[in-house]
Amino acid sequence: MTDQEAFSVRRLFFVWAKIGFTSFGGGAVSQYLIQESFIYKRKWLGAEEYANIIAMSQIAPGINLIANAILIGKRLAGWLGILVSLVGFVLPSAAITVGISAIYAKFSSLPRVQSALATAFAAIFGISLATNWRNAGPIFASNRKRGPAALAFALAIMIGSALVYAAFSPTVLVLYLVGGLCGAFAYRHNAGKKRKD
Amino acid sequence: MNWFLFFWVVLKSVLFSTGGFGPLPSLHADFIAHGWASEKQFTEALAIGQITPGPNGLWVASLCYLVAGVPGAVLSCVALLLPPLSILIVQLVYARIADRAATQGALDGVVLVIVGFNVIVVARLFFGNGADLRLVAIAVLSAALAISRRVPSIVILAAAALVGLLFG
Repeated sequence: MTDQEAFSVRRLFFVWAKIGFTSFGGGAVSQYLIQESFIYKRKWLGAEEYANIIAMSQIAPGINLIANAILIGKRLAGWLGILVSLVGFVLPSAAITVGISAIYAKFSSLPRVQSALATAFAAIFGISLATNWRNAGPIFASNRKRGPAALAFALAIMIGSALVYAAFSPTVLVLYLVGGLCGAFAYRHNAGKKRKD
Repeated sequence: MNWFLFFWVVLKSVLFSTGGFGPLPSLHADFIAHGWASEKQFTEALAIGQITPGPNGLWVASLCYLVAGVPGAVLSCVALLLPPLSILIVQLVYARIADRAATQGALDGVVLVIVGFNVIVVARLFFGNGADLRLVAIAVLSAALAISRRVPSIVILAAAALVGLLFG
């Protein structure tokens, strides 16, 4: 039963521990594996539900992926789920990070190590593009159903905020606020129109 | 080392920022001012955080290990874990307004912003480190493999690192 594994707290712990041990490549790869493990492979979470979890995680202070793990754990198994998710995810990855810190500091000046770092980062860049694509996918799909104007507006929020960030590097929180307000306004406007029709 | 001060400096930097790289400015100012870390240790820790498993924000644990050993690493992990717990309060508020169209719109808007600026941040790091045609090819191939879901991400990453190691 690999496709639709039944849920248990023990499995939850091992799923997180596997992500914690194998997500070499940092946050981009962790996010990718979280999508794989919880949405695509096991279907413990829906893609749209997960998009909401991602959005909420950005509002909390600190590392967003930790907030993300807290919300996923709570949603699947309450307070025990939170504990299991944090321990399973953070303990192995922090231990490996500290272990590699000790090793890396000794070899960081070797050219081959620098070259391997560059090619590995290219792969991380690629995987992060795939992850972002999958995060935005369900939102574009639901907006396409609302019509071309809604789809264009969603695209405009994404591309517009990227351009504004690239040009002015404002505090990210300001971008979240403006993007959130634009989305809220658009969906409310859309819902109002539907009621009139 | 004054551990109370150390813990507070790290906690403060995490509490008043968001995202993995958010604590960087505050940590940088305090650690340099106290003479705890060098500039080189910052760049090393940032690189390690991107390669190793888990959130990029664990670069803070790497830095704290480099400057204060295992006790520093353990304290930094506690400081990293506490602030995100406030997400539970955010969720309580969300539960009350979840059924309004505007709420879903706000969340979707935030995700779209994240995607837009995420791509810019990673692309800047990528091209800023001198990306050539070979690196672009690796990035495109990795993205295609990740989307296809046929190869585990750790294999993609290991293969890429191996190419760099062999042909470096």
